[in-house]
Amino acid sequence: MEAVLEGLLFVVGDDGLSLEQIKDILEIDFEEIKTLIASLQEEYSKSNRGIKIEFLGNKLKLTTKKEHHLYYQKLLENKETHSLSQAALETLAIVAYNQPLTRIQVDQLRGIASAPMIRKLVAKGFIKESGRSNLPGRPILYETTSDFLDYFGLANIDDLPDMRDFLSNSEDKDEEVDLYESKYKETV
Amino acid sequence: MEFTIEGFEGPLDLLLHLIKENKMDIFDIEINLITEQYLKYIHNMEKVNLEVSEYLVLASELIEIKAKMLLPRKQQESEKEEEDPREELVNKLLEYQAYKEISKDLKEKEELRKEIYTKAPERYSDYQEEEITFEGGSVDLLVDAFKKFLLRKQEEKPLNTKVTKKGITVSSRRYEIKNLLKEKGTVNFYQMFTVPTKEYIVVTFIAILEMAKNKELIIHQEGIYDEIICEGV
Repeated sequence: MEAVLEGLLFVVGDDGLSLEQIKDILEIDFEEIKTLIASLQEEYSKSNRGIKIEFLGNKLKLTTKKEHHLYYQKLLENKETHSLSQAALETLAIVAYNQPLTRIQVDQLRGIASAPMIRKLVAKGFIKESGRSNLPGRPILYETTSDFLDYFGLANIDDLPDMRDFLSNSEDKDEEVDLYESKYKETV
Repeated sequence: MEFTIEGFEGPLDLLLHLIKENKMDIFDIEINLITEQYLKYIHNMEKVNLEVSEYLVLASELIEIKAKMLLPRKQQESEKEEEDPREELVNKLLEYQAYKEISKDLKEKEELRKEIYTKAPERYSDYQEEEITFEGGSVDLLVDAFKKFLLRKQEEKPLNTKVTKKGITVSSRRYEIKNLLKEKGTVNFYQMFTVPTKEYIVVTFIAILEMAKNKELIIHQEGIYDEIICEGV
C-alpha cells in the first residue's frame, strides 16, 4: 500500500492528493490512510532518501528536502528567485484573514486602491473570486486558493498565525519594529 | 528637509512611519505634530509629481480629528465615557500594522517554502484512453466504411494529366446515361461516375439531376446510407 501511495504521489506531482482522493482510490478509511502516510513519512525521514511528504494547501505532496535546497539551487540557471512585493504580501494577508471579502474592503484596510493588486493576485492564482456579496451592487468576493497555502508552505488556512498576536500593544515589539522600519530612514 | 517617499504602501503606512519616527505611542498620537508632518510629506510628494490623491483622504481625516480635539468638551460628555476622536484612526492603524507584521511572517514562510521543490504532475492525458462507444455497430460496418474510404482515396489520387481536352457536356452525358439505362434498366448511382475527374463528376451529376427533374429517370434509396439506384423510365 505504501508503494501504491508513493507512486500516486509521484504521478500527481504538485497537484497533490487530497485525503478524499486517496480514500476513493485506495478504498481505505481515513484512519488507515493516516497510518499509511505516517509509515511512508517515517521511511522518507531516513537520511538516504531525497524526498518526503508534505501537507500543503490541503493536499498531500511529494517534495524535496529542505536540507538539500542548496543543491537544487545549483541546478537552477536563474538564481534570482522572484519574491512577492510588500504590497502583494500585505494584500494577501488582508484577504487571508478576512475572506471572503470585497475589493472595497481591501481598499479600506490598506487605505489605498487595491484593484490592480487584486487583479495581479488573481492572475497569479493566489486568490480567486468566490461569489458575490449581498452588499449594494453585489460586489465580487475574493478568497485565497490552495496555491496560496502551498506558496507559503501552509497545510491549511488554520496554519496562519493568530491575528491577535499581531494586534497586541505595539510597545512590546518596539525593537523589532525599529529594525523593520530602518529602511525607511529619511535624511533630515 | 529631504524625503524618501519610495517604499510606502499607502497613507496608513506613511502615518505609521511618522509615528515610529517620532517615537510616539500609537495610543496617544500627538495629532498636531503628526498632521503637520503628514501634510508636509504629501506637499513634498506633490513637488516631485507623485500621485497624492490617495493620501489626501487620510489628510482630511487627520485635520478633522485635530479640529475635534480643539473643540472644548461639554460638561455632560466628559462625565460619560469620553470618546477620543482619535480612536477610529488608532484602530485602523493597529489593524493595518497587524497586517504589516503578518506580511513579514508570510515573507519568512515564503522563503522557507522556496527551499523545497515539487514536480509538475505527469501528463495524465498521455495515458488516458479515449473512450469510444459504438452504438449498434459491428466490425462489418467498420470494414465497409474502410472500403469506402479506400475508394474515395483512390479518386483523390493525383491524376495523370494528359492535357487533351475531351469535351463533355451535360447533354452528351444525358444521352450516354439514357442509353445505359435503356440497356441495363437500373444502374447504381456511383457507377455513373466512371471517369474520376472533377469535370466528369460534376457534369454527370448535373445530367442525373436534370434527367430526374425531367422524369427521364427515377432515383431510389431504400434507407439512409443505402445504395442509390437510378432507374430508367
